[in-house]
Amino acid sequence: MIPTTAEILLVDDNPADLDLTIDALKQSKWPSNVSTVCDGAQALAFLHREGKYDSAQRPNLVLLDLNLPKKDGRAVLANIKSNPTLRRIPIVMFSTSQAPPDIEGCYGLGANSYVSKPATLEAWNAAIQSVNEFWIGCAWLPREENQ
Amino acid sequence: MNFINTDILLVEDTQEDADLAIHALRRENLANNIFIAKDGEEALDFLFCRGTFAERSLDHPPKLVLLDLKLPKIDGIQVLKEIKGDPRTRAIPVVILTSSKEERDLVHGYDLGVNSYIQKPVDFEQFRQMVKTVGLYWMVINQRPAANETTKSAAQGRQ
Amino acid sequence: MSASATGIQRENEKPVSPKPTLRVLLVEDDPADRELILRELAKGEFEISSAVAQTPEEFRQRIKSQVPDLVLADYNLGTWRGTDALEILRAENLDVPLILVSGTVGDMIAVECIKQGVTDYVLKDSLARLPAAMRGALHDKGMREQRKQTLEALDRKVEELARSNRDLEQFAYVASHDLQEPLRMVAAYTQLLGERYRGKLDEQADKYINYAVDGAQRMQSLIHDLLAFSRVGRMETELKNVNCHDLVGQAMKDLQAAITESGAVVNRETLPSLKANGSQLKQVFQNLIGNAIKFHGSEPPVITISARRHEADWLFSVADNGIGIPPEHAESVFTIFNRLHTRVEYPGNGIGLAICKRIIERHGGYIEVVPREGSGTIFKFTLPATVPCEVQECV
Repeated sequence: MIPTTAEILLVDDNPADLDLTIDALKQSKWPSNVSTVCDGAQALAFLHREGKYDSAQRPNLVLLDLNLPKKDGRAVLANIKSNPTLRRIPIVMFSTSQAPPDIEGCYGLGANSYVSKPATLEAWNAAIQSVNEFWIGCAWLPREENQ
Repeated sequence: MNFINTDILLVEDTQEDADLAIHALRRENLANNIFIAKDGEEALDFLFCRGTFAERSLDHPPKLVLLDLKLPKIDGIQVLKEIKGDPRTRAIPVVILTSSKEERDLVHGYDLGVNSYIQKPVDFEQFRQMVKTVGLYWMVINQRPAANETTKSAAQGRQ
Repeated sequence: MSASATGIQRENEKPVSPKPTLRVLLVEDDPADRELILRELAKGEFEISSAVAQTPEEFRQRIKSQVPDLVLADYNLGTWRGTDALEILRAENLDVPLILVSGTVGDMIAVECIKQGVTDYVLKDSLARLPAAMRGALHDKGMREQRKQTLEALDRKVEELARSNRDLEQFAYVASHDLQEPLRMVAAYTQLLGERYRGKLDEQADKYINYAVDGAQRMQSLIHDLLAFSRVGRMETELKNVNCHDLVGQAMKDLQAAITESGAVVNRETLPSLKANGSQLKQVFQNLIGNAIKFHGSEPPVITISARRHEADWLFSVADNGIGIPPEHAESVFTIFNRLHTRVEYPGNGIGLAICKRIIERHGGYIEVVPREGSGTIFKFTLPATVPCEVQECV
């Protein structure tokens, strides 16, 4: 049922957090190709295949930080969810914030899920494992040819 | 049955599938209160607190809706449309759980704002594993909007 | 007497003559009477600068061009009355004492005038009383002004305090959020160092890494608690009818593991329903019961929760048979991050009771501990027993 390796796009301006996530994804049992961008403008360029990203793979899943330079996570999310082609890509918000207005705001803009960045290494790994286990190993994701 | 504090609303017309899901969730200690709606109409009544469910409050939505697509009376896609089309209910996570292998349904579901989409495994052990994964992710890892808390953020949603 | 004199001096700014100057506005249509009054005034302790108004228009104009310190008005002014002048002063929002100087009215009218707000009443045939009446009027006004200033100063202080409180809330919230990210980097990467390089460096290095991990984790837990504490202040306390018996039940459910492990017995006596924020009040019960379990003595914990009506309040009591709190710490246990024991003896950050205090005070109650060292602890708190909501809405 899980035909090919999933394409995951990580959007985060903190390289330390990106490394933790990549490290955790490497340890999971479902394989994935990970691309990273570190601000909102790059994220949109990647998804819209603009500039240096003109041959970028459409991701099957996006992990999107909320607090980003240039274009913040909300703006990126709103852009994706109002685009008829991109909107079907599941977006998992991945942010330090646990503030209810942030969480509600993202669901309001059409986020598929909201995961708050855990404080400890174990919890971080567990959260990424669960994201991987559910989204890559269990959920049925729209593939490139359908988009 | 405690209608008020429901963890999961399972919309499923096949009794065996419903029993199996409940069994798996309980075994993993992932959900105590599961309500089963047998058709789309009952699911919508439950979510919008109508009819038999008038005592429920929209302030206490279920933490997750597991939605089959092929349902009597009102089908799953229509149920999804109504949940995601109403600002009062659109933040409730909805996961479609279906045996349909139609890619068209999948794309349509995501376009309508379903949170996720799962094909029901046929194998019993796989089914149990799937329910466990779904429960862990949506009940523990995923953050929901604070339901009945009237929270006023001084920082207006900054990180 | 001297108080009124100083009061006047302050208003006039420049005490050029030894006598303080007093601006008097005379509302008198009879020139002979005016002369009499002015002569009487000249004898007093004030330097008088006087003006005359005979019609309401003139009066209005006079008080607009310069606010007098005092108005002396006849009662019967032909087409209008002295009390009309009082109305004009009020309409202009001026607090100027007005003394009626008249000979033509009876007691009934005099009393009526005083009721309307005339400061004093002096008969024309006993003008000798005028200076005393003036002193009295000015003294009263001085007092009024002083009180007004005090109240204004108090209002300013209250506003200042509220603002500084809001700033602090905001600070705690922002700091806790913004501190979390860099701190997580420290915590996660020292942990990662520990996992990947344990035993590969030397013993000292392992120890240092452990200290760093421990420090970062403790900081994280402090920030987490600080955030929880500040959240109580930022939440709108929405009051609904809640049943305390159920709230305690929910708290016990959340504490199930600790209750089972310690063999604690929780006795719930009859508890009332009242108006409160349910989740916050549950938090109070949970923290108090949790503390009672945590600080148990040699016996398994026995916790009794009761409530009784005391005047307009419900008085709750949460009593245990634990190690107790020494009397000298009865106040400080409610201070945030205050701990009576080392982390080795009892883990925790010292936040639970601070949160309880905050929640109870936000509900308009107070909380205290009844110190009984060695023989258990009793926490007492009050909550207003408000009238049922239907009645309240009618009021």
